[in-house]
Amino acid sequence: MSLPSKPQAVPVEFLAPEAEGVVVDLCGEERNVHRLEELGIRCGCKIRMLCPGETCLLAIEGKKMCLRLGASAEILVQPLTP
Amino acid sequence: MATRSKSELSATVALIGNPNTGKSSLFNALSGGQARVGNYPGVTVEHKTARMQFGRDKQRIIELVDLPGTYSLSARSADEAVSVEVLSGEMPGVSRPDAVIVILDATNIERNLYLLSQVLELKIPTLVALNMWDRIEAEGISIDPNALSKSLGVPVVCTSASNRQGIPELHLALESLLESPTLGILASEKLASASFPEAFHRSVDELSQWFETQGVSLPRFQIERLLIDDAQGHSYRVIPKGRAHEIAERILESRKSLGAQGIAIPLFETRARYGWIKQQVAGVIERKPRDRKNTASDWIDRWLTHRWVGLLFFFLLMFFIFQSITRIADWPMQGIEFASGWLGDLVKGMLPPGPLESLLSDGIVAGVGSVLVFLPQIAILFFFIAILEDCGYMSRAAFMMDKFMSAIGMSGKSFLPLMSSFACAIPGIMATRTIENRRDRMVTLLIAPLMSCSARWPVYVLMVSAFVPNRTYLGGWVGLQGAVLFGMMCLGALVAIPVAWLLKRFVFPGEPSTFIMELSSYKWPSLRVVAMRVWERILAFLARAGSLIFLTSVLIWAAAYFPGDHSQLDRTVAQLRAEASQPSPDESKLESLETQVNQQRSELISQSYLGKAGHWIEPVVRPLGWDGKIGIAVLASFPAREVIVATLGTIYSLGADQDESSQGLVQQLRSATWPDGRAVYSLATACSIMVFFALCAQCVSTLVTIRRETNSWRWPIFSFVYMTSLAYIGAWIVYNIMSMW
Repeated sequence: MSLPSKPQAVPVEFLAPEAEGVVVDLCGEERNVHRLEELGIRCGCKIRMLCPGETCLLAIEGKKMCLRLGASAEILVQPLTP
Repeated sequence: MATRSKSELSATVALIGNPNTGKSSLFNALSGGQARVGNYPGVTVEHKTARMQFGRDKQRIIELVDLPGTYSLSARSADEAVSVEVLSGEMPGVSRPDAVIVILDATNIERNLYLLSQVLELKIPTLVALNMWDRIEAEGISIDPNALSKSLGVPVVCTSASNRQGIPELHLALESLLESPTLGILASEKLASASFPEAFHRSVDELSQWFETQGVSLPRFQIERLLIDDAQGHSYRVIPKGRAHEIAERILESRKSLGAQGIAIPLFETRARYGWIKQQVAGVIERKPRDRKNTASDWIDRWLTHRWVGLLFFFLLMFFIFQSITRIADWPMQGIEFASGWLGDLVKGMLPPGPLESLLSDGIVAGVGSVLVFLPQIAILFFFIAILEDCGYMSRAAFMMDKFMSAIGMSGKSFLPLMSSFACAIPGIMATRTIENRRDRMVTLLIAPLMSCSARWPVYVLMVSAFVPNRTYLGGWVGLQGAVLFGMMCLGALVAIPVAWLLKRFVFPGEPSTFIMELSSYKWPSLRVVAMRVWERILAFLARAGSLIFLTSVLIWAAAYFPGDHSQLDRTVAQLRAEASQPSPDESKLESLETQVNQQRSELISQSYLGKAGHWIEPVVRPLGWDGKIGIAVLASFPAREVIVATLGTIYSLGADQDESSQGLVQQLRSATWPDGRAVYSLATACSIMVFFALCAQCVSTLVTIRRETNSWRWPIFSFVYMTSLAYIGAWIVYNIMSMW
């Protein structure tokens, strides 16, 4: 019997409302990735989608942050199954 | 506030922390709320200072410096650069701090330690305030502060600034630190930078030597930042002008060399610092697993940030605020108007007719009093804005607005400076320092003066109360006057949309910027904070009324009084007063004297400098439906727009018919006529004046602030020209359309 495979990593904007995910990669312009990491958005941290959209509202380690990165950076998350 | 000389100053202590860590509350708690803020109240983008006494005999004085919130010392925006400049001793007028209090949010300690890891590298004695200590239990977090202090190697004090817990302990810890500064300095090998790759340190050494050979002296911390940060950051501001290209080339060379050795700049820094943080908090912090879903805050956010419900709520809230202002402010306004009239009558009763009596009653009391009458409205507006800011709603509004602002190439970060501009454009323009993207900052800065600031209020309220019918709808809940006021407040913001789009498209083209903003937690607004902000604003308004408006009132009075022989008028007024004071005055004689006074006043004002200027300006303003008096008042209000009310107050007081001079300005405007007997003011004229004031750049202080923030005269001149043109065209269109009805 094979183990269920992990869901594929997706851009954070793809998370459904109330869905949670773990950041697995940050990519894009280095200065923007650096800024995201300074703000505490880094690999391994847990994210919950509060309000999806091009500008989305996220809960990151208990803090709420709004985000619109456009083409300059991307946060890839591994969705957590409930 | 303690006012001591610099020689008695024992130490300078800076407070720094991430945004939303309760830093300003802690600053107020430490200083007893006696902050000396920047030039304009409510500004959080400049450093604030306050002095506090300490020591057993309270003989020593500390200057506390509250720095703008920042996530890192790698400054991206102008406000973050202020923090770096103060800490590195580069800020003019602020000595390099003798100690730093780093405020950490105890509920999000790992991210907050990132900034601490950088501050420690400045080798300034450091004390950690673990703030929001009262919230950790509810968050399921337990922290051992003693173990944390031991691990970090600096003193740690637990505080809750909002309810003033831990403040005495923080005072004591600060005293100890200032007496034994080595307690708060870490050995180099314990710093986060000790874990940076060896090749990076070698590169910094090489760069340091190269800078020395070039005659440029920079501390090691700044050389590290130059190597890590990109050229768009504020680290590059330390490079001497004229050498930028050469130095940037040398730094790029070092970066390439590091890249070839597998060191990814700038990302290696965050990884190394978080590695250090992980070591510091190991065994110090515990988090209980908890279900974070569906908190009250989440539920509120679900509605307040909803695409349509949130937007509807925002507009209803604003509408409610403007409706409330017109209703609540009514009786205090009447009180001030009564006091102003009483004071004018008192002066007239005490002094014989002549220039001094006229200067005091017609110039100063009528001029300054007619502006002061709007103080209640401004105080109430600030009361509501302060509540919205303090409870955490404003950042949600910025989130919602980003969706719309991104459509014109801007971001939600511009919303807060623009919202501040509804109070006053100057703090709004200064608040653009929080915007990282230069193009976004410039556009925001140029459209901020279009927001209807509180100085426009006196003009709107005067015109609305005089010429808009006082009707109510929906069972008395919605008033027409309040609705028109709300419309006028929205007008500038609506016009700003196409202006911003045009500026973005043709003057500052480029890729859309990103938007990242942390939302502060919801909380009940602090009455103390709200009261302080309103009080600061009242003081600023009174200071302006007591200086610029006072001076303008005197100048306008002089221009309307001279030249001219007033001796005949003074004699007639004296006869009139003597007759009026008789137990049974002769009514026909009184009437005859009043007619003579009115004729003489009218002749004198038309001969005055102001009267002549009115004739000169009338052809220019006539297409807008204005007479020469309005033209003069508008011209006089270019230094500060609220001056129009004072000017109209003085002009109509000097030139008013005898039976009208004791009435309020509203009645005097309603009675004003053209030579052929037609009323000067109509609803169309009033709207034309309001539209002109909504769009025109009539504030010297704003233009000077734009000059200071852009370091160029080009942009204030640009603002003045585009806004004044827009105002004239807008007023002409409105007058002509409304005159058709």
